[in-house]
Amino acid sequence: MKLFSKLVALAACSLISFSSLSAAERYITLGWAAWDPANALVELSKDFTKETGIEMRYEFVPWPNFADRMLNELNSGGKTFDVLIGDSQWIGGGAVYGHYVKLNDFFDKEGITMDDFFAPTVYAYSTWPKGTPNYYALPAMGDALAWAYRKDWFAKQELQKAFQDKHGYPLSVPTTWDQLYNVCSFFQGRVIDGKKRYGAAINTERGSEGITMGVTAALYAWGFQYQNPNKPYDMEGYVNSDRAIEALEFYKKIYKECTPPGHSDAYMEANLDAYKSGQVAMQMNWYAFWPGVNKDPDVGGGKSGFFANPDQKAKGATLGGQGMSVVSYSDKKDLALQYIKWFAKPEVQAKWWSLGGYSCHKDVLNDPGFVDSQVYAQGFLDSMGKVKDFWQEPTFVELMLAMQKRVHDYVVGDKGTAKQAMDKLVEDWTETFEADGKL
Amino acid sequence: MKNFSNQTKGLSDRAIAWLFVTPTIILLLAVNIYPLIYAIGMSFTNFYANKPGMEIKFVGLKNYIKILNKEDIWETMQATAHFMFWTLLLQALIGLGLALLLNKKFKGNEILTTIIVLPMMLSPAVVAVFWTYIYQPQSGIFNYIINFFYDFGEFTMIGDVQLAPWSIVLVDTWMWTPFTMLICLAGLKSIPNYLYEAAEVDRANKFQQFLHITLPSVLPFLLLALLFRGIENFKMFDLVVELTGGGPGSTTEVASINLKREAFEKWRTGYSSAFAVIMFVTIFGLGNIWVKVMNKIKDK
Repeated sequence: MKLFSKLVALAACSLISFSSLSAAERYITLGWAAWDPANALVELSKDFTKETGIEMRYEFVPWPNFADRMLNELNSGGKTFDVLIGDSQWIGGGAVYGHYVKLNDFFDKEGITMDDFFAPTVYAYSTWPKGTPNYYALPAMGDALAWAYRKDWFAKQELQKAFQDKHGYPLSVPTTWDQLYNVCSFFQGRVIDGKKRYGAAINTERGSEGITMGVTAALYAWGFQYQNPNKPYDMEGYVNSDRAIEALEFYKKIYKECTPPGHSDAYMEANLDAYKSGQVAMQMNWYAFWPGVNKDPDVGGGKSGFFANPDQKAKGATLGGQGMSVVSYSDKKDLALQYIKWFAKPEVQAKWWSLGGYSCHKDVLNDPGFVDSQVYAQGFLDSMGKVKDFWQEPTFVELMLAMQKRVHDYVVGDKGTAKQAMDKLVEDWTETFEADGKL
Repeated sequence: MKNFSNQTKGLSDRAIAWLFVTPTIILLLAVNIYPLIYAIGMSFTNFYANKPGMEIKFVGLKNYIKILNKEDIWETMQATAHFMFWTLLLQALIGLGLALLLNKKFKGNEILTTIIVLPMMLSPAVVAVFWTYIYQPQSGIFNYIINFFYDFGEFTMIGDVQLAPWSIVLVDTWMWTPFTMLICLAGLKSIPNYLYEAAEVDRANKFQQFLHITLPSVLPFLLLALLFRGIENFKMFDLVVELTGGGPGSTTEVASINLKREAFEKWRTGYSSAFAVIMFVTIFGLGNIWVKVMNKIKDK
């Protein structure tokens, strides 16, 4: 009997340790960029843990190192991440090199349909080859490059009058890049509330993707096309078209005449800093930051307004945002898929939006109350209706770095002309596509 | 201990020497020589480290020819040469000057030496980050000091195409002049006093003493310091990346930054291996020439 009790106790102990081990093993690691929406996701995912008992662990990497860290991890077949919220441009590499799990079968099995998500986001974040029904990610975070402005300054009577006298129309949200320039240059060097202010904080960063994202905002507004629509990878006359050159020159004009001194290597954080510290009247940035700006003690609380990228000769906005993928090297793909299934639920998507994430789910976006739910909601809808993305090819890093160099050299580095910059870009991209066997 | 002496009793001096040296040689072969040979091998291929399924093809000298004919590469080499030339020149002049000053006996000499040496004890990344604040055009102290003496208005050191190359020269000089100074100081301390006494007997003035005793004695030390600094600055990376990121445009994109972008951002492994080999041969060649010059001066 004594022996039997001992055996029972031993079995009980083993069972307890086994279950605690299993509980410890029931976790997944999610990788994303370190920014405001990531904090919202942590908050949101507590419900997932409550529902499933699966613990969530995170690695959030600051934006300047995000691509390096994550792509190195994927390239080396690393098992650190089970779920990855990767940039839209990674989808090609993720699919072609086998980093991401193809989700079609899973979606079919779980009744998840891409028809429930906003079409441009499905196209941009989920499909490879582009536009085909081959899904490697669930649209997770819709985003586009947009603008914030100092509503309180725009409302000042003396500034309204001065602007009207100078330009013959009221100082208001610009709807074209010409108007944008007028507003920026109007504020440049102007003293407001006893302090010298500047026009706008725009993207000029060289290291990762900053200046490309900024310049493409102008290029798309001029109707930029990456290639001949009838002949893929034929870029001559498209990338270096007259419109593209004009747009690049315009962007340089804004950089030279409307930005604060030393704004030569600025991206998300630097633009936010310049704006929040009251240096500039406007900033270019991602929608992801607007909830934070809207709540900011210095520039929030109704002092800021938000608007979609202005048009010029065409409609266009630079696409940001990310899709949520399951890493194919993960040992916990089943748990990761459970998370995706949970995240795709309409009620979770609604909460995601309320916490500061940008849902791509139609139930959220088509809700009659959506437009009035946040001051930037209308702008978000406007932007998502006209977004364009950079190349999503497997070689996108090479393509991106080439553009970073060429446009930074011209815009910030004063090297050559806009035409030379775009011509060289065509050469670089041609070389990359040749090496990749596409040309 | 006894066991060890018994075991080694039968070994010759040569064998014992090999016993001690072998681990180092193995380590050197594994860590330095093997990667070098491997990189040389890769430099003749089209290898991309991020494309696991891609067929690796032998491309002969194609990578080398492409690099040597690429305008962008020569621009990075120019940026590197500008950076090296001015940092070495300034560090030689200021370092020697400071060493001469600190070689004199005066009150506070030791404290001053310690203060001067402080910058080189800091991490280059940290130095770069706080210099970006110093250079900040609106709130940085650098612009304030310059404008205090002459009102240049708003200007930016890091963001200006003309000034950015000088901004990195200035920071590197600030950081590494103490190194040159210390080595020169060691050289100055090694000059026997009787040489100066003899020169005084011969009625040589201070300038003649400097020209004929101090300078020749300290020159090998100075050249050695510059050799170290030259090698370091040829492959300079961290300080420049943190300070300017190679910008504005590619104005301060020194060769190592370009190499890193090719190797670990674009993942053009074969191409970047060729570039690394070219850089290695360049610095190895320049280093050897420098050592020969040093030896000639020493022999004189």
